[in-house]
Amino acid sequence: MEVLHNLAFGFEHALTLQNLMFCAIGCTVGTLVGLLPGLGPLATISILLPLTYSIPTGGALIMLAGIYYGAQYGDSVSAITMRIPHASSIVACIDGYQLTLKGRTGLALFTAGVSSFIGGTVAIVVLAWLAPALGEVAFLFGPADYCSLMLVGFVCVSFVTTGSLLNGMAMCLIGVLLGQIGTDINSGMQRFTMNLSFLVDGVGLVSIALGCFGIAEITKNLDSGEERSPFNGKIKLMPSWPEFKRIIPSALRGSIIGSFLGILPGGGPVIAQFAAYAVDKKVSKYRHEIGQGAIEGVAGQAAADEAAARTSFIPLMSIGIPENAVMALMMAAFIVKGIQPGPNMIATHPDLFWGLVASMWVGNCFLLILNVPMVRYWLSVFKIPYAVLFPSILFFCSIGTYSVNNNLDDIFITVAFGLIGYIFMRLELDAAPLMLGFILGPMLEENFRRALLLSRGSFSIFVTRPISATLLGFIAAFVIWQLTAFILQARRAVRAQPA
Amino acid sequence: MNDENLVRGLVLIAIALTFGLSALRYPLGDFSRAGPGLFPLMVSSLLLLIGVATVIKSRFDKRKPLYFNVRNISIILLSLCGFALISKYVNMIAGIVFMVFFSSFAASTYSIARNAKVAAGLVAIAFAFQKLLGLNLPLY
Repeated sequence: MEVLHNLAFGFEHALTLQNLMFCAIGCTVGTLVGLLPGLGPLATISILLPLTYSIPTGGALIMLAGIYYGAQYGDSVSAITMRIPHASSIVACIDGYQLTLKGRTGLALFTAGVSSFIGGTVAIVVLAWLAPALGEVAFLFGPADYCSLMLVGFVCVSFVTTGSLLNGMAMCLIGVLLGQIGTDINSGMQRFTMNLSFLVDGVGLVSIALGCFGIAEITKNLDSGEERSPFNGKIKLMPSWPEFKRIIPSALRGSIIGSFLGILPGGGPVIAQFAAYAVDKKVSKYRHEIGQGAIEGVAGQAAADEAAARTSFIPLMSIGIPENAVMALMMAAFIVKGIQPGPNMIATHPDLFWGLVASMWVGNCFLLILNVPMVRYWLSVFKIPYAVLFPSILFFCSIGTYSVNNNLDDIFITVAFGLIGYIFMRLELDAAPLMLGFILGPMLEENFRRALLLSRGSFSIFVTRPISATLLGFIAAFVIWQLTAFILQARRAVRAQPA
Repeated sequence: MNDENLVRGLVLIAIALTFGLSALRYPLGDFSRAGPGLFPLMVSSLLLLIGVATVIKSRFDKRKPLYFNVRNISIILLSLCGFALISKYVNMIAGIVFMVFFSSFAASTYSIARNAKVAAGLVAIAFAFQKLLGLNLPLY
């Protein structure tokens, strides 16, 4: 009952005219930017983050959350209609694009919209029940446990986003090191500032995000120089009743899988999509059609995607540890607004917490009633040639960087990270783990130093505490598995070579 | 040398050494009272290990040529620098116009009329940001 009461309280905050407006703007702008080629949720949030600085706290968070879902939905639209593979909607490219080839784009878009709505609704129920309970658990966490939890996050994110533990961990560590630039909080000493005054407060998050995602993405698209054929097909949205009935079971399965996978460290939309798709392929009544344009192939993954996007807020808001790069950016947005996400957030800012939870559902409704019917108009974004688009994206990147501190010099830092981001991209080093490392870095150091202070310098504190020991055990098992796989592969490669 | 996997390892080693060697200049303290240099030193040592592992691993992997297009990234970065400098010393409208016209060299086609339209549109958006969102832009 208490949950219902809390949700009602949240809706009171989410349904004010002002917040409704922010939610609608966020969803709409997010969808539009998310539709653009090469811009996934991470890039979209980075570009639009500075715009929320001048908005009151509650509204800003609601708008950012709206941008996030909007960007995800926009992503799946471009995946379904044009098979532009974004990091966050790879699975939608499979069956969704097959449906487009069959001339059923409208059906695929409708299915994705409705399934997202179902996924989001299930996830919000999970979120409302679980986040406060997990918040209680968070009070059992000591500094050592926090360190181990962050390391688990690094390992999982590295593996999930890049597929290579080595490359991903390297990027996390580089992120942690970048987070060290600036003044050391314990001793007040300036580290890695090279005596440059603008580095004393550290490198700006927005500069790194826009450099590594905005600018590097633009250049990558320019390098490939491909001309996209705009989507010109006709769209018939409403499905027939038997088709509609096929959406429901698959979407419900996807919602449950997504809600669960979204909570785990390193989890989030990407694995959830793959898992839901795989499950549908095993158990769906229409499994023989999946892969060739089945409704289930779209419904399950869309629901899982949306559900995981919502439940990935749980670790951030209850324990205070973001579990993937998008959540790390959200955490930065919270901190800019003077709110430390964590177990105390629900108690100290109940209006923000429950307002945000309720606004997620409001955002879902907006996506359903606003975006699904309007999608045909929004596809006209694709008719804009890239030569018009990329100077505009550059403009938003520079305005975004400037408006953080009203300082034009910050643009040079963004330029530097644009170059670094481009080099990383060409070396196939994914920047997403870097973001997570950068935001968690200072927290990791603080907890690490505190843990060692408590144990008088003995590392045994990391293995004698049960929570930390379990988490480290998990990492050890994972690393051993990876090492074994590598050694086996190397041996095979050596044997294959003629002596 | 033109092997992406090898270069990746070398870059990682270089980053690790840059941070690690400067960390040595800060007081390290001991584990019970860590100084400002200790944590960065540990992190960069780990990164160094990963870099070395990547170099070793590249000997087993297939060579993959490194692709690097200097032209596009230079145009994009220069247009951003130009935007910042012109906005600082002249005004932001001139900066926007410069950015649009210069960055377009990276596109496959170049059209002055198209650039003029894009620049006009972006200036209008900048005015909207200034008046409606209250951003403090030095437009003129």
